Amino acid sequence: MELYQKTASELSSLLQSKEISSVELTKAVFARTAQVEDTVGAYISTDEEAALARAAQIDEKRAAGEELSPLAGIPIAVKDNICTKGTATTCASKMLENFVPFYNATVVDKLNEEGLVITGKTNLDEFAMGSSCENSALQTTRNPHNPAHVPGGSSGGSAAVVAAGETPLAVGSDTGGSIRQPASFCGVVGLKPTYGTVSRYGLIAFASSLDQIGPMARSVEDAALLADVLRGADPMHDSTSIPREYDSLHAKLDPDMKGVRIGLPKEYFGEGIDAEVSKAVLDAAEVYRGLGAEIVELSLPLSKYALPIYYILSSAEASSNLARFDGVKYGYRTQKADDLIDLYVKSRSEAFGPEVQRRIMLGTYVLSSGYYDAYYKKARAAQRAIRADYAKAFEQVDVILTPTAPTTAYQIGEKTDDPLQMYMGDICTVSVNIAGLPGLVQPCGFDSGRMPIGMQLIGPRFGEQKLLNAGLAFERATGLTDLVAL
Amino acid sequence: MAITTQDIAYIAGLARLDPHGEGFDKLAEDMQGIVAMVDQLQELDLGDITDVIDTERKNALREDVEIPSYPSEEILKNAPVVECGGVSVPRVVE
Repeated sequence: MELYQKTASELSSLLQSKEISSVELTKAVFARTAQVEDTVGAYISTDEEAALARAAQIDEKRAAGEELSPLAGIPIAVKDNICTKGTATTCASKMLENFVPFYNATVVDKLNEEGLVITGKTNLDEFAMGSSCENSALQTTRNPHNPAHVPGGSSGGSAAVVAAGETPLAVGSDTGGSIRQPASFCGVVGLKPTYGTVSRYGLIAFASSLDQIGPMARSVEDAALLADVLRGADPMHDSTSIPREYDSLHAKLDPDMKGVRIGLPKEYFGEGIDAEVSKAVLDAAEVYRGLGAEIVELSLPLSKYALPIYYILSSAEASSNLARFDGVKYGYRTQKADDLIDLYVKSRSEAFGPEVQRRIMLGTYVLSSGYYDAYYKKARAAQRAIRADYAKAFEQVDVILTPTAPTTAYQIGEKTDDPLQMYMGDICTVSVNIAGLPGLVQPCGFDSGRMPIGMQLIGPRFGEQKLLNAGLAFERATGLTDLVAL
Repeated sequence: MAITTQDIAYIAGLARLDPHGEGFDKLAEDMQGIVAMVDQLQELDLGDITDVIDTERKNALREDVEIPSYPSEEILKNAPVVECGGVSVPRVVE
C-alpha cells in the first residue's frame, strides 16, 4: 500500500515509530497530487516548498525527542475561504482573487501549533454558496469517483483531495451542508460540529449564525483526531465560540452500540429521495440493529419548511456580510467608475458571480421594508420551532440517521441552469445548521453507477461523541472503503 | 407574494448591484422561482411562537484590554488603490 492510501491514524503511528518521516510523507502526497490533479482540479493553490520546509521542522522536533501531537507531520488541505497569512485566500471569487490575508484564522493557528503540514487551499463554490463546486469562479473540480460528476459543495475541493489521496485530511466549512454533502458525494467522512464549538475567526463569513468549520477525512477516527485539534473556545476573536471543557473526542471513542437508540425520521425517506440512497441508509440502520442498537421510527414534522427557512436566514445574513465587498478597502475594484456609488455597483456586479448575486438579492429582499416580518422574522421564529422539533426527537433517541442528500453526485452541468433544483439538494442537511446541531457523514455504500452514498448521523447539541462512536461502530462493522484508482 | 420586475430592480439598487448588467434578466427570472419557494413558509402556522429573541443565549463580552492593531501598511497591501498612506476613492464631496 502506498503512503497516500493510508489514513491519518495509520500515518501517525508510522511517524511516531519513525518508520517514515514527515518529509517523505509530504513528498508522497505531492507526487500523488501531481499524478491526479489535472483530472480532479481540487486545489486552487499549493505550496510544496513551504510544506516540505514545515515537514522538515516537524521531523527535526521528533528527532530531538520533543513531545508532538498525534497529527504532527500529517499533511492537510484547507478550504480557500479560511484565512492563511501570506497565502492568497480567494473564496473562489473574482472579488478576492488577489486577496492575501495578513492574519491566520484561529483554526489555521491551531493546525500550525499541532504540527500539521498545510499543503494548499482547496476549491469551493464562490463564497461557499452552492452544492456542486460549479459556482467557483476560478476552476472546475471533478469527483474522483467519476470525473464527469461534481464533487459536491461547497467544500468540494476539500472532499475531493481526501477522496483522491492528495491529502489524508482537509478542513471544510458548513453553512447548510457544505462539509456533509461533498463528503457524501466523494465517499469520505465529514463532521459539521455543534455551532460555537470551533472558532469562526478568519473564516470569511457567509451566514455567521450558521457557518461552522469542521474536519474532513478518510475515517471516523481521523475525523475525531482532527476535530480535537479544531475545537475550542476563542473568546478574544469569536464571541459565538462557546467557553466550556472540550474533552478529547478521539480518546473516548467507543463503538459499543448496545442499547443506543437510533431514530429514523420518516420525512427523510419519502418523496424526492432516490430509492438507492434510501435503501443504503435503511440497510445501515439494519447494521446498527445487528450491533445491538434500537431503531426507532420518529417524525420531524417541520422538515418540509427547513429549505425556505434556511434560504431566508442564510441569504439575509449573506446580504449583510457581503456588503463589505464594495471595491474600496480590499478585493476587486472596477476600472471605470463615475462616482462612489457607481464604484460600489460596478465592482460588485463585475466581481460577484450569478449565485452570489442571487443570494444577496434574496437576502436584501427578505430584510427590506414591508417584507421583513413575513420572511425574516417568521423564519427566525420557525427556527425556534425546528429546534423544538429536534429537542423532542432527542427525548426518544440518542442519534438520528438520515440520508445526506437526495441523490448521489450528478453530472457536471446537469443542474447549473436551475438554481431551485440545486437548492432542493440541500433538503437533508440544512435543518442541522438551523438548529445548530452536529452532523456526521460517512460512506454507506454505492449506487448502481458506483457513485458513493453517504449517511448522515445527527446528534443533540454537543453530541459529537455520540456521533463519532456510532460512526466508528458502522465503519468497523462494514470496513473502510478503499481509495478510488485514478 | 409574487415579486415583480420593478421590485427586483429596486432590490438591486438597495443591494448595490446593477439591474442593467449582463445576466440580470436571468437573475430576475430565477428570483421569481426562489421567492415562490421561500413563500412556502407562509403556510406554516407557528401558533404562539412569534418571539425571535433567543432568551437562552447571552452576550459574550471579552475583557476590555488594550491589544495592538494590525499595522496599516500590512492592511493597505490589499487595497485596490493607495495614496498617501490611505485608500483612494472617487471624489465624495463636491
